[in-house]
Amino acid sequence: MRLYASATVAEVLDRLLADPAVAAAVVADRTLPARAADMRPFPDWLDAGLRSGLEGRGVTGLYSHQAEAIEALRGGRDVCIVTPTASGKSLCYDLPVLQAVAEDASTRALYLFPTKALGQDQLAGFHELADAAGIEVAAAIYDGDTPAPVRQTVRAAGQVVVTNPDMLHAAILPHHTKWFQLFEQLRYVVVDEAHTYRGVFGSHVANVLRRLMRLCAHYGSAPRIITCSATIGNPGQLAETLTGRAPVLVDRNGAPAGEKRVLILNPPVVDARLGVRASAYGLVERAAVTFLRADRQTIVFGRSRTSVELLLTRLREALREGRGPVGRVRGYRGGYLPSERRAIEHGLRSGDVLGVVSTNALELGIDIGRLDAAVLAGYPGSIAATWQQIGRAGRRRELSAAVLVATSGPVDQYVATHPDVLFEASPEEARLDPENLHVLLAHLRAAAFELPFEPGERFGAAPADDLLAFLGEDGHVRQAADGRWYWASENFPASEISLRVASPGNVLIIDTGGDRPRVVGEVDLFSAPTLVHEGAIYLHESRQYHVDRLDWDERKAYVRPVDVDHFTQAELAVTLKPLEAFASDAVPGGERVHGEVMVSSLATIYKKLRLESLENLGWGRIHLPELELHTTAYWVAVDPAAVAGWRRDELDVALVGAGRALQTVASVLLMSDPRDLGLISQVRSPHAERPVVYLYDGVPGGVGLAARLFERHAELVAGARDLVADCPCDAGCPACTGPRLESGGEGKRLASRLLALLSGARADIAGAPAA
Amino acid sequence: MTHELARVSSSVPGMDRDPTLLARRLERLRALDRRLVTAAELPPPARRTAAGADPGARAAHLAAGLGGTVEEGSGGPVVVVERATPLPMTLDGLARLPYPVDMERPLVYLDTETTGLGSAAGTLAFLVGIGRWDGASFCVRQLVLPDHADEPALLAALEAEIPADACLVTYNGRAFDWPLLVARYRLHRRPPPVTAGHLDLLPIARQLWRHRLPDARLASVEAGVAGVRRHGDLPGALIPERYFAWLRTGRAALLADVLAHNREDVVSLGRLLGEMSERLADPERRRSAHPGDVASLARVFRRDGRQDEALACYAEALAAWDEREPAPTRLDRDTLAAEAARLLSRTGRHAEAEAAWRALADRGGSTAVWACIALAKHREHRARDSAGAMEAALRALRIVERRRAVGIPLRAAERDLARRLARLHRRARARRLT
Repeated sequence: MRLYASATVAEVLDRLLADPAVAAAVVADRTLPARAADMRPFPDWLDAGLRSGLEGRGVTGLYSHQAEAIEALRGGRDVCIVTPTASGKSLCYDLPVLQAVAEDASTRALYLFPTKALGQDQLAGFHELADAAGIEVAAAIYDGDTPAPVRQTVRAAGQVVVTNPDMLHAAILPHHTKWFQLFEQLRYVVVDEAHTYRGVFGSHVANVLRRLMRLCAHYGSAPRIITCSATIGNPGQLAETLTGRAPVLVDRNGAPAGEKRVLILNPPVVDARLGVRASAYGLVERAAVTFLRADRQTIVFGRSRTSVELLLTRLREALREGRGPVGRVRGYRGGYLPSERRAIEHGLRSGDVLGVVSTNALELGIDIGRLDAAVLAGYPGSIAATWQQIGRAGRRRELSAAVLVATSGPVDQYVATHPDVLFEASPEEARLDPENLHVLLAHLRAAAFELPFEPGERFGAAPADDLLAFLGEDGHVRQAADGRWYWASENFPASEISLRVASPGNVLIIDTGGDRPRVVGEVDLFSAPTLVHEGAIYLHESRQYHVDRLDWDERKAYVRPVDVDHFTQAELAVTLKPLEAFASDAVPGGERVHGEVMVSSLATIYKKLRLESLENLGWGRIHLPELELHTTAYWVAVDPAAVAGWRRDELDVALVGAGRALQTVASVLLMSDPRDLGLISQVRSPHAERPVVYLYDGVPGGVGLAARLFERHAELVAGARDLVADCPCDAGCPACTGPRLESGGEGKRLASRLLALLSGARADIAGAPAA
Repeated sequence: MTHELARVSSSVPGMDRDPTLLARRLERLRALDRRLVTAAELPPPARRTAAGADPGARAAHLAAGLGGTVEEGSGGPVVVVERATPLPMTLDGLARLPYPVDMERPLVYLDTETTGLGSAAGTLAFLVGIGRWDGASFCVRQLVLPDHADEPALLAALEAEIPADACLVTYNGRAFDWPLLVARYRLHRRPPPVTAGHLDLLPIARQLWRHRLPDARLASVEAGVAGVRRHGDLPGALIPERYFAWLRTGRAALLADVLAHNREDVVSLGRLLGEMSERLADPERRRSAHPGDVASLARVFRRDGRQDEALACYAEALAAWDEREPAPTRLDRDTLAAEAARLLSRTGRHAEAEAAWRALADRGGSTAVWACIALAKHREHRARDSAGAMEAALRALRIVERRRAVGIPLRAAERDLARRLARLHRRARARRLT
């Protein structure tokens, strides 16, 4: 029994690696070198009050990225700032905004944050800086919680309005005439945490920004847009797609950082044949407890609410045995009261809270200071999120540490067996597609409601006339004699759009567990049969709900909160019909295609799977109508000559296995949930008359995933080939080609051979399929 | 392997190369379940009509159909329809009523018809009815928007109708019509017209005539107060669709009912003001007014601080209810009497107040509890009659206990009495000891 005694991070790491159970699990151990601060003097045009305010808080100059950002803005350019956690990013926009207000009090600025909590946090920081600089500025939050009398004041006099995209979309833009002072004087639009605007949400937000800029032009303002993103593969492109304008990219971080050691641990295999590994929790606990006992501030990231609570309990028990700092370890997740969260954040900054177990709620930019160690219970799902979480550990000067413990899930295992993905490959790209026809048309309606369209006026990539004429067929938009397109309906189009889902007709999720029914969320129509069928365990903000009843006609799912050790996975009988190929290209072993498809899906049964081990606990039937999804897809058509001599069942197994591996790698490459991409394989496609594997975008119209997969075909196939080849299982497991299939357990070998073929290897090298 | 497509960022590579691609994609979208896209019932598609082609012709066609004229402004044509209705009523009494209306200023009666509810940017006023009244004839000038494109003309014409010293008279105009019009001016980046006042009759009507009206819709109020019944009036909910139908079809007749409805609404504003002025302003004529109206007026006077007039109205209303026609409910009558008694004591007329409380106490019921408590207060603190105070308080207690026994406890009164009686008992004991 070890006692509580302070030790340095280096000593703790030695201690940890001396433990044979830990040492055996290490699959990667890298040291990231320390980085010195790159400082610049304050620019001479900086307001004297601001300068002395900053100096009063001990800031004597700017980091290079801050200086670059504010100079670019000064020069009238848009800026996209890419910096890790806690690098003084807020100053990049707070400073120019305060400078502008100091120069001209009529200046207005709009701050957009993806969540309310972030907005509050940033506003507090903004007020502190403004007070220190002695600049009087009316800055306020405008969101769903803002009381009605305050709203009026914010509209008329708020110089800095802090809100979220949903509120901008539904409450501000359609009522722009009440905000005319804001639109007339808008100088800066801040889009923070831009990397969260990807997928469907991002596609919507891009269109909301189009509407915003359109109104600004109408009221005669031309604001600069400041985009801030975590480190992702394509920040500049993301900002450009999101805002429709090319920004100056500021991605060299000038903030100093101490050395950081990153360990990846993979729990030992307990059943080699099935590829089953020990739970990640054991190693997470061991690592976290070692740091905490040594008085090192540590954050532990769990992937769900349940795992956060589970880990918290385990940590506290372990610390109690060793007489450790039990009371100084806290939990942090959605569902905690805001005041509780503020207290924990404050405790982390002051050092009173030694350890925190959190969901990704603390991944975003909430200020909790810098910690000594981060322990990740499972791969967070993307390289970018991993670095965000790892970035929570990092002192200015001393050594810090991060430990990632892989779970037995397929994506985790891919990362654990290919740690270079994390260290060498560039982080994922955030994909969004503002041109998604469904999303675009919905926002075009909202935009026409807000302001008539001039003939030939562009909305996004192209003049909107054809699309407006299309909307005109419904009579909701009409072209008047002056050639302009006007909204001509009683409907309020903004209320028909929810930014977080793909299409109207969402299914509302209603919690009946409380005193009275409460809407906890919604899912889009196409996800509903697999996510909220009767008997499903629905996860919302990491909380488990059991679906008691799904009223399909009313689009309502009635749920109640539960706490169970399993989740459900629905099986879909899916048929796919290609409608049009946008692009195709010959590749080794066949052809890659990107195009539009119609997917008909019928949810059939669901399985109950144990959390962590994915053990099958039972199943049930689903009774729901068939749905049609009109979307974009990427597909690989195999050259029949290349697989001549394969039996039909062999080919089938190979396509399914290869498809699963492709799907896993695709979700790693594209920073998307594996569920965002549908998979379907056809041994003999009725259209191409060849074996085909399709990966399709799971939302109507798609969000650009398919196009990007088409571009990255070679990487994708190579990645899938390696995933299967490097997996320690003998005949396929959930981590590579999926659970062992029929056909004599040959799935893995067959999939491997097919992938080798597609990646250009000659068939005879990969070995003939077993007869 | 070629990478020529690697730099394409749109999800639809080829869109720029093949101009017919969008058309084909839209065609497929059309074939899908349209409800997914539009979420609403679809009106029939637009039809180009002869009247639709040329803005001038369109406006002329509308003016001819509605019996109006086309006024050409810098922003386009606007159709003006003007009708006068005889309405011989006087507004002389209005100044004596406790409402913020300055009779020195021109009153501009205003009512809009719109393409929807709320004042979001996609809703517009396609018809603005302006009323002017010389005491004999009520003239309504209606500005009609021939087409979306002509809105600047309508706004300019409206500006000309509203002098800067005008006082608007509307029905729910503070919450709806005026903010919507202001929004339209903002949208067109013009300053909204300046006005000197705004008398919204909705809250007044709701307050004044609440005793005898089923709801506060203008037509109901007008029917109940002035006895005017409309025939074939177009329900308000159908109005937006009528306008969209005009835009689609160019059939001016579709708007005739809408204009009639709007004209009725504007005239009603005048009629309601006239009713108020003629029936309620003059104390003599008030005697023949509906007692409920007089009761409401008493409260308005009281809130306005005009206590003598308030007391006079209270007395008239109570007398009418007691002598002429009974109040709708006993509680209505007793509540009013209690208010009057409270006002009497607040204005120092203690003897009258005591008499009023005594009368109420004798009537029994829940109001009697408070009347007894008021009497106890009066006797304890003013008349220095502890025994009388005790008697009144005990009387109240008996009623409260009876109420409690039948399961309707009056908790506030119980708390008050507990304290009051404890104090009175303590005093009585102290007096016995000395």
